[in-house]
Amino acid sequence: MAIDGLIILDSAGRPVIQSGYTSHPPAYPIFHIDALNTALSKATRPEDVDPVLYVPPGFGGEGSACCHVEIGGLRLVASVSGDADPLVAFAFLQAFQDILIDYFGTVNVATLKDNFDTVYQLLEETLDPSGHPLTTSPNALRDIVLPPSLLSKLLASLSPSVNSTHPPKISCSGANAAFASPIPWRKAGVKHNHNEALFDVVEDMQSIVGRNGVTIVSNVWGKIETNAKLSGTPDLTLTFTNPQVLTDCAFHPCVRLQRWSRDRSFSFIPPDGRFVLAEYRYAPPQSVVTGTSGIVPVPLVLKAVMDAGEFGGTLSLTLSSRLSTKTMENVEVEIYLGEDAIGAQCAASSSGTGTVGVGEGGGSWTFDPRRKVLRWEILSMRTSGSCMLRGSWTSKAKAPRPARAFQIRFDIPSYTFSALKVDQLRLSGENYKVYKGVRGRSRGSIEWRW
Amino acid sequence: MSGQQGQDAKFFQRGKIEEFRTELQAAESKDKKYQKRKTVLKKIVANITMGNDMSPLFTDVVQSLGAPLLEIKKMVYLFLMSYGRLKPEQIHIVIPSFLQDCNDRNPLIRALAIRTMSYIPIPVVLEPLSEQLRHCLKDRDPYVRKTAAICVAKLYVADSRKAEKGGFVEMLRDMMLDTNATVVANAVAALSEIGDRQDGVIFKLNLTIANKLIAALGESSEWGQIYILDSLLRYVPEECADAEMMGERVIVQLQHANSAVVLTAIKVLLYLMNYMENRRLIDYICKKMGPPLVTLISSGPEVQYVALRNILLIIQRRPTVLKNDVKVFFCKYNDPIYVKLAKLEIMYRLARDENAKEVLAELQEYASEVDVDFVRKAVRSIGRLAIKVEGAADICIQALLDLIETKVTYVVQEAVIVTKDIFRRYPGKYEGIIPKLCENMDALDEPESKASMIWILGQFADKIDNADELLDDLVYTFLEEAVEVQLALLTATVKLFIYKADSETAKELVHKVLKWATEEVDNPDLRDRGFMYWRMLAMNPNVAREIVLAEKPAITTDSDRMDRGALDQLLLHTGTLGSIYHKNPETFIRNAAGRALTDSPALNANSRSVLVTLRPQLPSAANINVAGPGPIEPQPNVPAAGSSRPAQLISEDAGPGEERDLLDIEESTAESGTGGDSGEGNVDVDVDADDDDPRAAKALDPYANLAGAFGGYVADQPQPISGTSQRGGELDDLLF
Repeated sequence: MAIDGLIILDSAGRPVIQSGYTSHPPAYPIFHIDALNTALSKATRPEDVDPVLYVPPGFGGEGSACCHVEIGGLRLVASVSGDADPLVAFAFLQAFQDILIDYFGTVNVATLKDNFDTVYQLLEETLDPSGHPLTTSPNALRDIVLPPSLLSKLLASLSPSVNSTHPPKISCSGANAAFASPIPWRKAGVKHNHNEALFDVVEDMQSIVGRNGVTIVSNVWGKIETNAKLSGTPDLTLTFTNPQVLTDCAFHPCVRLQRWSRDRSFSFIPPDGRFVLAEYRYAPPQSVVTGTSGIVPVPLVLKAVMDAGEFGGTLSLTLSSRLSTKTMENVEVEIYLGEDAIGAQCAASSSGTGTVGVGEGGGSWTFDPRRKVLRWEILSMRTSGSCMLRGSWTSKAKAPRPARAFQIRFDIPSYTFSALKVDQLRLSGENYKVYKGVRGRSRGSIEWRW
Repeated sequence: MSGQQGQDAKFFQRGKIEEFRTELQAAESKDKKYQKRKTVLKKIVANITMGNDMSPLFTDVVQSLGAPLLEIKKMVYLFLMSYGRLKPEQIHIVIPSFLQDCNDRNPLIRALAIRTMSYIPIPVVLEPLSEQLRHCLKDRDPYVRKTAAICVAKLYVADSRKAEKGGFVEMLRDMMLDTNATVVANAVAALSEIGDRQDGVIFKLNLTIANKLIAALGESSEWGQIYILDSLLRYVPEECADAEMMGERVIVQLQHANSAVVLTAIKVLLYLMNYMENRRLIDYICKKMGPPLVTLISSGPEVQYVALRNILLIIQRRPTVLKNDVKVFFCKYNDPIYVKLAKLEIMYRLARDENAKEVLAELQEYASEVDVDFVRKAVRSIGRLAIKVEGAADICIQALLDLIETKVTYVVQEAVIVTKDIFRRYPGKYEGIIPKLCENMDALDEPESKASMIWILGQFADKIDNADELLDDLVYTFLEEAVEVQLALLTATVKLFIYKADSETAKELVHKVLKWATEEVDNPDLRDRGFMYWRMLAMNPNVAREIVLAEKPAITTDSDRMDRGALDQLLLHTGTLGSIYHKNPETFIRNAAGRALTDSPALNANSRSVLVTLRPQLPSAANINVAGPGPIEPQPNVPAAGSSRPAQLISEDAGPGEERDLLDIEESTAESGTGGDSGEGNVDVDVDADDDDPRAAKALDPYANLAGAFGGYVADQPQPISGTSQRGGELDDLLF
C-alpha cells in the first residue's frame, strides 16, 4: 500500500528535494532517479515514458517502480514497491502538487528552494515514515505547517517573548482545532467578514471527428470548482433546475452521497477555501431520431484539404463556428507535419459577416521547427462566417508522412455545453446571508481526421 | 548527484560541514532571537533534502534541541530522523529531550517526539519509545493518537517481539473502534502493514469490525478510506448475504473524486462478488462499475494508464462491465504511446459483432499512423479481430489486403503474421489471397513474418503452383536464418515433399534441408526434429503424411482470456503494481505479500474450483523463469516461483501449526484456507457461468498452452510477448 518516498527533480533530472527514505538503503532513491533519467533520455518524446516505470532489483534493492508526473518543468517522483497502488501514488502526487500551489502560489525550482524547510515539513506531515499519505487537506495542514507568509508574520509578533523558557505555543491551538473538528476536511471556528460561495462550472469537450466529418466520439467532462468562504459550520444544499444532465458524478468527500441518490441535490458542509465539489459527465438528451446517445455535437466545422506529395504538400483549411450566440476564443489548430518537415508558407483570411475584428482576419500561423508542428491561432471567432488558411509546407523526406489528424483547441467563455443551471443554494446551521456566484466556461479539444 | 545542484540558491552548497560547525558554535553566543542558529540549521536541512550527508554534524546539531523555538526543534528533529539511526553510540544524548517532549503540553510536539523516536530503530531508543507509546496511544488528542498508531508499525518492524509482548497489536485493534475516523484509518493502516510482513501476525476482520470500519468511511479522509477499503479484503464472508450486504454499502464509494479510492472500492467489490450468489446484485454492481472506470479515463495520462491496465483485467473476468463503451477507448493521435497500446488491447477485448465495424475502422485509422510499434499492433489487432468475431472476418481480410497494398514493410510483415492465424481459424475460406501474399514475399525480413509465410507455403503447397520454387529461394539462406525460420523451413519442405512426392525439386529440397538440419546445425531442437522427420519419411511415407498433414484444430479465441484462477488472484491486486504488469507481485518484487481468495462456505463454486493457494515461501526462492515463448503468467497448478505464504499471514518462523492469530476471529476459516492443497487438477478451467458471455461454454481450447508451438504467437495471447520479439526491449512485454 505504501509509497516509499517522494523526490522532486528539476528539468535536468537533478534532485531538488527528496523525502527521508529512512527504511531504505541510501542508494534506493538514487536508483529511481537514475532509472527515470535513463528512460527519459532514451525516449523520443518524454511523455511516452511509462508512467509506472519498473525499477529492477539492484544492489540490495528490491523490485520496485517509480511513478512520475511532470509539473511546470519539475518532475514529481513517487517510489513504490511491493503491493503498492500506483494510483495512490498518483493521487498523492496530485494532492501534494495542490498543497504546494496552495502554499506558494506556483510550483517551480525557485519557490521550492526558497521554501525548502516548509516543503520538507509538508513532506513529513503528508507522508509518514512507512509511506502512508496522511493529512493532505490544506485546511488541516495549515494549522500544522505554517505557510511562509503567516509564519513570518507570527514570528514577528512573537519576537518579544522568544527568550522565555517555554516554547511558544504557536500551533498548540491549531493542532487541537485541526483534529478536534468532527469534519476532517473542515477546521472548526472559521470566520469570514464577508460570507460568499462561488461556483465555477468548467466543462471540457473531448472529441474525435472522422474524415467524413462524422463525430465518432464526443464527451463533455465537467467539474464544479468551488470557492467557499463561509464562517462557522455552514450546511449547504445546492439544487439544479436540470440535474438530469449530470451523469457519472464523482464527488468531494463532503457531499452526502445518499442525498444525491435520493433527490439529485448536493448537500454538503464545504471545506474552507477552494476545492472541486464534483466532477461529472454531461449526458446529452437522447436523440429520438437517431437513437444515439452520448454524442455531444462539436461546436465547429473544419473542412480540410491536405495533400502530401514529394518533399512537402499543400493544405487548405476552412474553419467555421456552429455556435449561434457565443464567441469562441483562443482557437488553435495544430498539425504535426512529420519528423522531416522544414517549414511552411501560409496565408490566413476570413470571410462572412461575423469576423469584423480589425487586424484579426483569419488569425495567425506559425511553424514550430522543433516540434515540427504547424499551428494556426484565431484569438476570437464570431458566430457566423469562417476563417481560412491556405498554404504549402516542405519536408526533407521524399514521401513525408504528416499526422492524420488536426488537433483543435478552443475556449468558450460564459458557456456550458450542458447548460447546467443552479436553482438555489440554501444555507442551514448558520445565520448569515451568503453571497452566491455561478459562472460557466468551456473548452474543447478535438481531433479532426482528414 | 550531490555535486550538481543549482548554483544560485544560497542554501544549496556542499562540502560545508566544517563551515556549518563553526557557524553553529558561533551561534551559541550573542544570538538574538536564535536567528543565526536558525539560518545554519536551515542550510543543514537544505543539504539533507538534497541527499547530502550531514551526519558528521550530529553532536553539534543536537545541542540546539534545547532552544525554545518550535521551528528550531522541528529542524533538529528532521535531522534526527535522517541520521539518528546512524549514531547508536551517541543517541543517548538526546533521550532526555525526547522524554521531555513526549510529555509536552503541545500535542504537536508530543507527536513529533514519538514520531522521531520511531525513526531510530536502536534498542536504547526503542525502550523509552515503547514506554511513551503506551501513553500516546491513549492520548486525549487525536493527532497524537493517530501518529502513535503509525509508530506502532514502526516499532513492530524494528522489534516485533517487543511490540507483541508489549500488547501493542491489541491496542491497535482496539483503536479500530476509536471515535475519530483518522485514528481508525491509521490503526487499520498500521495493522495492514504489520499483517503484510512475513513475520507479522494475522490480520483478519470479522463481520462486526468490518461493518464498523465501513461506517467510519464517511468521516475518513480519502487516504483513510483507501486503507479501510483495502483492509476489507481481509474479511472472508461466511454467508453470501454478508458479502451482498457489504457490497451494497461499498457501492457508494464509487462516486468518490479520488481515483485511488474508486479503484480500491472496485477491488473490494470484485472480491466480494466471488462470495455472492444474487445474480441481480452482481449484474447491478457490474453495471455500476462502468461509469467510474470511464471517468478515470478522462483523467491525466498517468491515471489513465493505471486505469486501462486494470480495466483490461476486469473485463476479462466480468465481461459485462463496459461492454457498450468501446468508443471510450478509441485512441487519440496525441495520446502517449503507453496509453494507446493499452487502449488498443481493450478495444480488441470489447469488440463484438455489434461494434466490430466501428472498431475495425478505428484500427485501420491507426494502421496509417507514424509510430511503428503502434502501427504493428494495430495491424495485428485487425487480424485478431477477424479471428475473434466471425461476422467481421471478411471486412478484416479486406482491410489486411489493403494494408499489404501499402507496401510499407512492417505493415506487410504484421499482416502476413496474422493472416497465417486467420487461415487456421477459417480453414478453406480465404486461401484465395495467398497469391497476394506471395507477391510481397521480398518485403519480409523478420524471422516471425518469414516463418509465418513459410508456414503458409508449406501448409498450402498443394494449392500454390510454384511453392517449390518459392521455398527453394527461401532455403538458399537456410544456415543463416534464425532458428524460428529454420524450423519453419524444415516443416514446410517436408510438407511440400509429402504433397508433391513426385517433384524432383521437392525431393532435392527436403533432402538438402534434412541434411543441414541434422548435420550442420547446432540447435538440438532443430536437429531432433530433423531426425524425426527423416526417420518418419524413411520408414513409412504414408503414415508420415497422416501425421504431418493431420487436420489441425481450429484456433479459437477462448484461449485469449487469462486463466480464471490466475485472474481471480490478480484481481485481488487491482490497482497495484501487479495489476499494471499483469503479474502477481510476489513474482517480480521481493518480499511482496501474495494474495489469494480464501475458501468459505459462501465462495462461489466456480471460483472455488480454480482456487489458487499460496504456498509458504521456499527457502531458496530464486525466480525461475524459463526463457523463450510461452506464457509467463503463473498457472493455477504451478504456483509462481517465489510465491509467498498463505494470505492468512501465518507467521513463518513460528513453525508449523503455531498460528499467532492475535486478532481473534473465526479460526475455522484460517484452517480451511491453509489446509487444502487445492493446487492440483485445475488445468482445464471452466469460465464462470456468471460472466454473461456467449462464448463461455466452449472454453476448452487444447491449444491454450501451446503458445510456443507456432512461433511464439498464438492468435490471442493475453500474456506479455515473449523474449523472441526483438523490438521494443524488455518493457515491451509489460505493455501488451
